[in-house]
Amino acid sequence: MNFDQLSAPVRIGIYLVLLALSLFYLLPIYSLINTSLKSEQELASSPVSPVQNPTFAAYKQAFGKINQSFLNSVIMALSATALSAIFGCMSGYIFSKYKFKGSNVLFFLIIIGFYIAPQSILIPLVRFIGSLGLYNTLFGLILTHTAYGIPITTLLFYNYIDPIPHSLIEIAQIDGASVFNIFTRIILPLSLPGFAVVGIFQFTNIWNEFLFGLTLTSGKASQPVTVAVANLKGTTVAAWNVHMAGAFISIVPVLLIYIFFLRLVIKGLLLGSVKE
Amino acid sequence: MKKSVQIGFFLLPAVALTGIFIYYFAGWSAWASMLSWEGLSGFGHFIGLQNYIDLFTKDFVFRKGLINTLILSGSFIAVTLPLGLLNAILIDLGLKGKKAFRLIFLLPLSFSFVVSATMWVWMFAPQSGTINTLLRGIGLGALAQPWLTSSSQSLLGLVIIYVWQFSGFATLVYFAGISSVRTELLEAAEVDGATTFQKYIRVVIPLQKIPTFTVLFLLLMYALRVFDLVWLTTGGGPGYSSELLATYMWRVAFNRNQFADGAAIGFVMFILSALIVIPFVVKMRGDTS
Repeated sequence: MNFDQLSAPVRIGIYLVLLALSLFYLLPIYSLINTSLKSEQELASSPVSPVQNPTFAAYKQAFGKINQSFLNSVIMALSATALSAIFGCMSGYIFSKYKFKGSNVLFFLIIIGFYIAPQSILIPLVRFIGSLGLYNTLFGLILTHTAYGIPITTLLFYNYIDPIPHSLIEIAQIDGASVFNIFTRIILPLSLPGFAVVGIFQFTNIWNEFLFGLTLTSGKASQPVTVAVANLKGTTVAAWNVHMAGAFISIVPVLLIYIFFLRLVIKGLLLGSVKE
Repeated sequence: MKKSVQIGFFLLPAVALTGIFIYYFAGWSAWASMLSWEGLSGFGHFIGLQNYIDLFTKDFVFRKGLINTLILSGSFIAVTLPLGLLNAILIDLGLKGKKAFRLIFLLPLSFSFVVSATMWVWMFAPQSGTINTLLRGIGLGALAQPWLTSSSQSLLGLVIIYVWQFSGFATLVYFAGISSVRTELLEAAEVDGATTFQKYIRVVIPLQKIPTFTVLFLLLMYALRVFDLVWLTTGGGPGYSSELLATYMWRVAFNRNQFADGAAIGFVMFILSALIVIPFVVKMRGDTS
């Protein structure tokens, strides 16, 4: 559309609306950063006004409390993202290129798993992970996030692989290529951009997840950073600056992904919802 | 190796993991929800639907959670849909700085619910919160509210938080929908003398049915399952004023250790998920094929 064709009062009105909306979206984020940069004294004397003497003391303190959990989240999110992406690529490939009796039903049953509220499987999950001896371990969290990632990675890769022409597969088959060969020589190279989209989608989701982390861990050894940040609240009454600093540290990886790879983020969110 | 064996190998991780973690677990929840609960000695004997009957007839918190889930979903979606459409149109106008505004609108999507909860508790704090302080600062101190700490306003507070968190998603889907409107249609409208405003009202917005349906469905799905955003702000309170199914399930199962009732609430949520997802998938398949 052509904004410049609009009359001046309308244009000013539109910018005012945009300003009000931006205030709504940015005020909480500004508050977060503003609070995190205050010393304990400044926070106590003037909690809301813009910071006068910014200090990174709260960041230092917060990092000391959540660094182990931050590392846990890095390992957990990277491993579960990689595993769920590769498994989803494998199954998305089969569902797109090798139809068999019942394959559509099986595909449907797998992808609707994404839409099931996690609360409905939470109790058996805790017992199952416990019975494997994986309660309070990173591996338990990785296994869980991998499993619950598969419905959406299967759907995303299906949407990605389906446009690859079936004739390409048929020619390869005539040349004697196996299911495995076709996967490594045709599908995998062509779906590499898909891995970027799916990887970002999965990483941000798993990084931000809280319920499984809360339910499947206790204590610092294996808890993800979301749970550690939530726990900062309990430690000291007035230490909101530390709580906010920890919160900010915890979203830095996802924030960087949004700022630098916004196009891929948008693509992942749209592929996961609009197309079916 | 036979082709079918190779196909089986490729499907095995996906089928085995979703089979266990979704279908076996859902079945287990359904079964466990029909057993009695004997406290420390665990599950007892089969009692059919008694746990469900008790939830619906005797447990007022469960009913409150169900009603609150419906109220919260309805209210925040009623605001998020038009707001998302407005945001998308504003970006689509092609004004200066549209990329910056797009990033601003989408930024809340990147925030984990834990961090959002932290920020909003601070924003809404009755004494030293950002919102009340600002209201007092501009001479509107009379409008300062107790927000999340009041049982009559806690749900309203959650609606505001949900709108903040999720409207970026609506913006995104609507923006994609608006961008896909064919330029010929817009040019034809222009030839007919339509103003920019009329082009949106008569051409663009009527074509946004599928985006609207998509956003509605996904927001319903989130409204049912979101836990942290509530657990870490109101905690379902004060009293049970903002208790939702998602928080009550956790409270019953993991605070009170009543696994049979917890499984029953979980299975009610399973049914609700199915009621949301099935019409969506049927409609989407019907529209695309």
